[in-house]
Amino acid sequence: MTDVKALQQERISIYQDVYNDKIPKRVPVNIGLPFEVIAQFGGLDLCEAQWNPAIVEEAVDKICQTVYSDICVFMGSMRYPSFYEILKSQSFRMASNGFIQHPEVTGMFPEDYDYLIENPYDCLLERVIPRQYKAFNPEDPINCAINLAKSILAYNDDFMQSGIIIKKMEEKYGYYPGGLFSGGFTEAPFDFLSDQLRGFKGISMDIRRMPDKVAAACDALYPIVFKMGLPPANSNQIFIPLHMPPFMREKDFEKLYWPSFKRLLDEYASMGIHCILFCEHDWTRYLDYLYELPTDTILWFEYGDPKVIKEKLGKKHIITGLYPVMNLKTKTKEECVEEVKRYIDILAPGGKYIFNFDKTPLLYGDIKLECLCAVAETVRDYAVYSNAGETAGMVFNKEDYKVEPSRKFESKYYKTWEQYKALNPEVSDFGRPKLENLEETIFHYLMFLLV
Amino acid sequence: MINLDELKKAVGELDEEKVKQMLTEFVESNPTEEEAQKIVVACQEGMGIVGDLFEKGEYFVGDLIFAGELLTEAINVLKSVIGGKSAQKVGTIVLGTVHGDLHDIGKNIFRSMAEAAGFEVYDLGIDQPVSAFVEKVKEVKPDIVGMSGVLTLAIESMKATVEGLKQAGLRDKVKIIIGGNPVTKEACEYVGADAFTTNAAEGVKICQGWVK
Repeated sequence: MTDVKALQQERISIYQDVYNDKIPKRVPVNIGLPFEVIAQFGGLDLCEAQWNPAIVEEAVDKICQTVYSDICVFMGSMRYPSFYEILKSQSFRMASNGFIQHPEVTGMFPEDYDYLIENPYDCLLERVIPRQYKAFNPEDPINCAINLAKSILAYNDDFMQSGIIIKKMEEKYGYYPGGLFSGGFTEAPFDFLSDQLRGFKGISMDIRRMPDKVAAACDALYPIVFKMGLPPANSNQIFIPLHMPPFMREKDFEKLYWPSFKRLLDEYASMGIHCILFCEHDWTRYLDYLYELPTDTILWFEYGDPKVIKEKLGKKHIITGLYPVMNLKTKTKEECVEEVKRYIDILAPGGKYIFNFDKTPLLYGDIKLECLCAVAETVRDYAVYSNAGETAGMVFNKEDYKVEPSRKFESKYYKTWEQYKALNPEVSDFGRPKLENLEETIFHYLMFLLV
Repeated sequence: MINLDELKKAVGELDEEKVKQMLTEFVESNPTEEEAQKIVVACQEGMGIVGDLFEKGEYFVGDLIFAGELLTEAINVLKSVIGGKSAQKVGTIVLGTVHGDLHDIGKNIFRSMAEAAGFEVYDLGIDQPVSAFVEKVKEVKPDIVGMSGVLTLAIESMKATVEGLKQAGLRDKVKIIIGGNPVTKEACEYVGADAFTTNAAEGVKICQGWVK
């Protein structure tokens, strides 16, 4: 076995140990940098690179040689300008510095609640997407169809380009091929409703003015977000960024956010799927709720006291995050190293810990490279276990989770094979996987536009 | 005349139904402009309660957003009786999200609360270049410049904006406050601002301290 293959084997086994309730040989170093940081590291024009993702390859290769990580240092991007531009997106726009962001926008109005509750997927396609994506304009059907087709081609092309680069680096440097973002992706029903449908302001009004409709909308959206998150066959993990709870009162959270969200995680757990939750902002108020989630939920914290979090959640869940990425800009290399040892001393004992920063840096100027390298190497060399192979805390068992079947996903804009066959009786059964796959591809693309 | 304490309390509790009902009845009673001004003051004091509850951790950002909307609605109901005589302004603020950042939720909350506290606010919007701040400061000669940003990259833009004001000879004529997720004491020194906050209610208090 080559050195690279041996290293990859070691990396696979330390991740698998963490996921399988064992103490690994050492703490996995999960450092991924976003597209923007690497493009700037390579001295590329950010705007140009985002339009032509293939040109970052040389910079990616160089950063992989420079920064230690057990996953590919290049994360790729979720937000390339091509498909957003073609569809004239209101939700994702490039700012004057070339950085694509999500401004506060409203895709759904209070009067749309009843239709959303009755027929959620139809409402998203007929009302919400056309408001957020002006080129998806049902008044201009031919151009609408052409724009959608162009944007999907652009989307596939850009993701393929960065996917190829990641694959190459995984082979070349022996990375663990299952980073945090390698499985499914979805949102909690309440966050899906808040982010692009009602917006932060709209949902804050609705919580007080029409809480019953908010709750009903979360239930209506459940089958959509559930389906959206299902990972590909080679993965059993789903990434879910959590957004609104730190900005809500607990009593609103308990009634409106928690029920559909908890159910979502339980249902995935019943299928053996683990969720990786990015607990955006400060979740200190909600640690007891997080404890109730299925064993081995991966909790990525942005803020909080590591001691309190480890004590409350560390035996049941897998903890990651917390180390402040801002340190890499504001502190010396020595200070960064001292501090990362402090985090490891608190978070590593007993296993169920993956090293990561509190958040990913946005631009290259957010970090000093020598600090990043020093921190990564310290974790690799210092966070080594003497009791590898022992059981780590509570053990996950998918049989512990059962949920009653929820409302079915149905829409006139989505055809099951049976429906397709009824309309086209002459179709060959050999076409089934292809046609089903196309239906899924369109579903996933359209819903991706809303997360 | 309605019970001012009760109105102030209803605003503080964000009891929309009650506030609307009280104000509608008040407007129907054909009040004088002077009476209407007292109502406006009571609403502003109610917003003060909202700010205090936010600082105590009983309200959160979503509640502040709702409070801003409630106040706007209240003023709309009162418009017909407030008359042309606007309330006395306590100071002027030029406000904006710095270049490179498209976020404005925090900025809008601050604007609502600053207006409720009697400031005249010129809101430039999001992703504003240095020149937009400089030009507006030249034009309206504010007491305060407020710069907002959510992303870490906003810190560099804030620094550039302060530099721009310096070069235009305007830095010493205004107080500068920065706000948003990434601002800290260190960021404030680095940027060259006079104050920083991640809490809109506290930000308004700082501004009030400056114009006293």
